[in-house]
Amino acid sequence: MSTDDFSARLEAALARHIGQPAKVHDLQRLTGGANRTTMSFDADVAGQRRRLIIQLGMETDDPVAGMLPEISNEQQARLMIAAQRVGAPAPRVVAILQPADGLGEGYITERIAGETLGSRIVRDERFAPARRVMAQQCGEILAAIHRIDLAEVPFLKRQDAAEHVAAHRRLVDYYGFVLPALDLALRWAAENEPRNQRHTVVHGDFRSGNLIVGEEGIRCVLDWELAQSGDPMQDLGWLCIRTWRFGGLEPVGGFGSREDLFAAYERASGDLVDPGHVRFWEAFGNVKWSVDCLRLGMRGIDEVDIERSAIGRRIEEPLWDFFNLIESRE
Amino acid sequence: MPQSMPGVPALLTAAVKYLEDELLPTLTGYHRFRTRVTINVLNTIRRELEIREPQSAAERARLRALLGHDGDSETLSAELSERIRQGAIDLNDGNLRAHLRQSLADALAINNPKWPGR
Repeated sequence: MSTDDFSARLEAALARHIGQPAKVHDLQRLTGGANRTTMSFDADVAGQRRRLIIQLGMETDDPVAGMLPEISNEQQARLMIAAQRVGAPAPRVVAILQPADGLGEGYITERIAGETLGSRIVRDERFAPARRVMAQQCGEILAAIHRIDLAEVPFLKRQDAAEHVAAHRRLVDYYGFVLPALDLALRWAAENEPRNQRHTVVHGDFRSGNLIVGEEGIRCVLDWELAQSGDPMQDLGWLCIRTWRFGGLEPVGGFGSREDLFAAYERASGDLVDPGHVRFWEAFGNVKWSVDCLRLGMRGIDEVDIERSAIGRRIEEPLWDFFNLIESRE
Repeated sequence: MPQSMPGVPALLTAAVKYLEDELLPTLTGYHRFRTRVTINVLNTIRRELEIREPQSAAERARLRALLGHDGDSETLSAELSERIRQGAIDLNDGNLRAHLRQSLADALAINNPKWPGR
């Protein structure tokens, strides 16, 4: 589809969903969000300029798609609407695309200004005030996400710790990849699954890099495609793994302390946080990221892509951190 | 085959020098990022050429001691993997942990030497 053709269809879709004529400007494909096509654009509607994002397409050519939970664009939009209702800062959904729009499966949201690059958020002086409040904000936002009524999002697949471990074991087997340290990590995870797992909505990829941040703190939570239902402590552990600290020293996303995160989560949710329980998920988060590195590296080979190939070579980083965690060197 | 000159490490070093010192400063955004990744990959190749071989010999010796018999590194590693998966080896075994740690440290020395120290 040519850009003009695409813009025309987009204008027609906007008019259909908003109920007023729309003129599209500055359509650009965004880098980042490696999994799908994300484009930013402005639309003039009734004399006002609206800053918008369109999310299109899914990865269907990945041989392991389906081995891990991933929800469709339409489901993401429905989840973001539910998240907005409980006060979590998800992108505001403007339209869920329909077949008549001729654009494929996707959605349009409002575009929020701010920084997503983890390395800038942990380093730049202008984010110093944000860094002071972000661990607390993460606790509050996660508590909100975890109280979304599961009945509103029945499409989320249930994944408790045992299912996560088994799914990642299957992925490694699928590739026939031999790395004894990864085998040990997977077996450790299978033998140390936490008891007392609650069952809530889980964002599944809540971390620095998927947050839009301003000088005052977190403005928006992105990337809902890995959402599932399961143990809410998974989100807290994943947020703490060293990979998502982007060189920052603080354990929570490179910007905050676990104590601040846990205290805010407890206040906002009324549920106690057991640090050992979160630690399991941080340890397993490292296993998960190492399997992600394998998966992305294998795709890098198929696609002859330098960026993904390079990620394949990061597989040992989280395993190193995994051993530090279980041997309590941190 | 006669050894051509310059050797591969010297060629890689020269390629990285051009990319890093001359090309990179002219780039922004997407191409700056992808070029940075490419430089990292070339540095990884250079380190692998320089240090993988001595690492391999030591790894094989550790595997031989752990498993009690000889073989090539790949076969021994696959056997260790299988033992770990089957529960035929104690996860807390000190020699096992030391071997895995060393193998990870070796790989990181090639792929991202800064990681362990940070």
